[in-house]
Amino acid sequence: MLQTVGKFIINYPSIIILVFLISLGAFISPVFFTSRNFVNILWSVSVLGIIAVGQTVLLITGNFDMSVAYIVGLSGITTVMLQINGANLITSVAGGLAAGVIIGFLNGLIIIRTNANAFLVTLGTSALVYSINLILTQSKTWYAQIDAFLILGRGKFYGTIHYSVIIFLTMAIFVQIILRRTIFGRSLYIIGHNPKAAKYSGIQVNRLKFGVYLFCGFCAGLAGLVMTARTGSTVANAGVGLEFDSLIVSVLGGTSLFGGKGGTIRTIIGILILGVISNLLILLNIQYEAQQIAKGVVFLTVVCADGILEKKRRSS
Amino acid sequence: MIRKIFHFILQQNIIILFLSLFIVFGIFKGDLFLNGINLHNIARQISFDIPLALALTTVLIVGGIDLSIGSVLSMSAALTMGIQPTGTYFAVLIALLFGILIGFLNGILITKGKVVPFITTLGTMTLVKGIMLTYTKQLSIAGKDESFTFWGDGSIGVVPTPIIVVLIVALILYIVLKYTKFGRNLYAIGGNPESAYIAGIDVEKNKVFAFMISGFLAALSGVLLASRLNSSTTQLGLDSTNWAIAAAIMGGASMAGGRGKVFGTVIGVASLGILINGMNLIGVFTYYQIGIRALILIIVVAVDAVTATRIRENLQLQAYGKRD
Repeated sequence: MLQTVGKFIINYPSIIILVFLISLGAFISPVFFTSRNFVNILWSVSVLGIIAVGQTVLLITGNFDMSVAYIVGLSGITTVMLQINGANLITSVAGGLAAGVIIGFLNGLIIIRTNANAFLVTLGTSALVYSINLILTQSKTWYAQIDAFLILGRGKFYGTIHYSVIIFLTMAIFVQIILRRTIFGRSLYIIGHNPKAAKYSGIQVNRLKFGVYLFCGFCAGLAGLVMTARTGSTVANAGVGLEFDSLIVSVLGGTSLFGGKGGTIRTIIGILILGVISNLLILLNIQYEAQQIAKGVVFLTVVCADGILEKKRRSS
Repeated sequence: MIRKIFHFILQQNIIILFLSLFIVFGIFKGDLFLNGINLHNIARQISFDIPLALALTTVLIVGGIDLSIGSVLSMSAALTMGIQPTGTYFAVLIALLFGILIGFLNGILITKGKVVPFITTLGTMTLVKGIMLTYTKQLSIAGKDESFTFWGDGSIGVVPTPIIVVLIVALILYIVLKYTKFGRNLYAIGGNPESAYIAGIDVEKNKVFAFMISGFLAALSGVLLASRLNSSTTQLGLDSTNWAIAAAIMGGASMAGGRGKVFGTVIGVASLGILINGMNLIGVFTYYQIGIRALILIIVVAVDAVTATRIRENLQLQAYGKRD
């Protein structure tokens, strides 16, 4: 019994951190441990969560996407622009999602064709998408025209929990099942572990990688729609910083930056940790700048732990 | 003979790009482009980018990358201005030491923490940015010492002071990389860390030193920019990292490690500087310029990757004795 508990702690240290943070929060602040606050935490992280689902799948294959932040802006802008030009709900939403998938297509195409460093390529497309955002918006704020669209961000399921949270949780669970229970999903782990071995065992490495980039672009596009629906408006740099946050939460949850290890259910826990930390910092009235430092420190600690553990695993 | 010249030209593609940009803008915008004031401006403008690109060249040579240089730049500019009341050159010293410290932190985390350089420096980038925003309280800091502006804004004769400073620094770096044991070790580590280790090179120590040089150069750029503007803003260095990566790779460095030239990088920065200047003269809108810069980065990285793959394949062919 004790052994099982010990094993569980070693395998899922993030759950311990989460439980610790929640008890800490309940101890520090009287407002923290209320159902309303929890609903708020979930709602505030749902956009990041949808992005992180895509990012986690990419990390499992040993890839990154740094362009997700500005894709969030682009998909929102596309949707709002289409609505302003008289498109209906379905068309505008499809347009926004398509914008995300197109950037994913571009990323995937460049990376599998040239074998270039995924990090740098997506950093480049990130700036490219930013310039497109600026050209489209002319640095102005644009407002969504269709009221029904706003339900995606603000609406609640029977008045209890937001639709965006449900979308995020469903996606995370659904993707986890695909990752674990299908040949496609399992192949992604092999690619992340050892691309060469994957290639020699007959897996279409490039095709799968390409597919995952499309999926990541789709997720970022969807997150952009949710974000736009929540605020009702959009600007060129709507999602700035989310690329970094999506990496943090994936690694916090236990997905390795070296590829081949992780899952989207774990990412839910990572998201909750980040959500609780930012919520606590706000409740404790700590400034935004200090939050940046906290994020940097948390990130460096987690990736170092990941690196050292990975080293041990490989050598043993 | 012709073959030799042809090969030489192929190897010097960055110089050809530089010259062709010069000629194109000279022909089409000759009156605006080729006058003393404009060339003076270009020289001043690129002198703040050269240290950053050299910083990246140094870490690219050991097979790393440093994304934190933009944040280090803005923080050291803030320190230069913030501590100035205590003593102008004391502030410069602190700013430069800060850069070296962050470089040291990067190096330690990469070698001891076993984290890939991308991720580590992405983390320190956020960390330093947070420190900078906390330190400046998101405000601009104005300088108190007018004489200090000589280093960034002044001129010696017709030549801007900062370009002289950075060219001297570049010369020192050139000598260090090319003629010292330390410099040669860096190339060896980047080319193949395992064989460097077996050959008796202290890989970890040299890597840490390379990152410290990178931090120092980024801080130097921050100090010069602070001197030029006689103030520091939180917006400094936001997109300079991408730009520096493009310049360093254009100048002959490679993501694969083990390659990189000081001279090439300086010419790379100069080419990009001329391109920006030319786009401004033609009247290309800022939003489009951001896009063009991004495209340049993507193309440079992609070409570098294709070349590196080809070199690797050639090496494998040679190893199997099937030379083509």
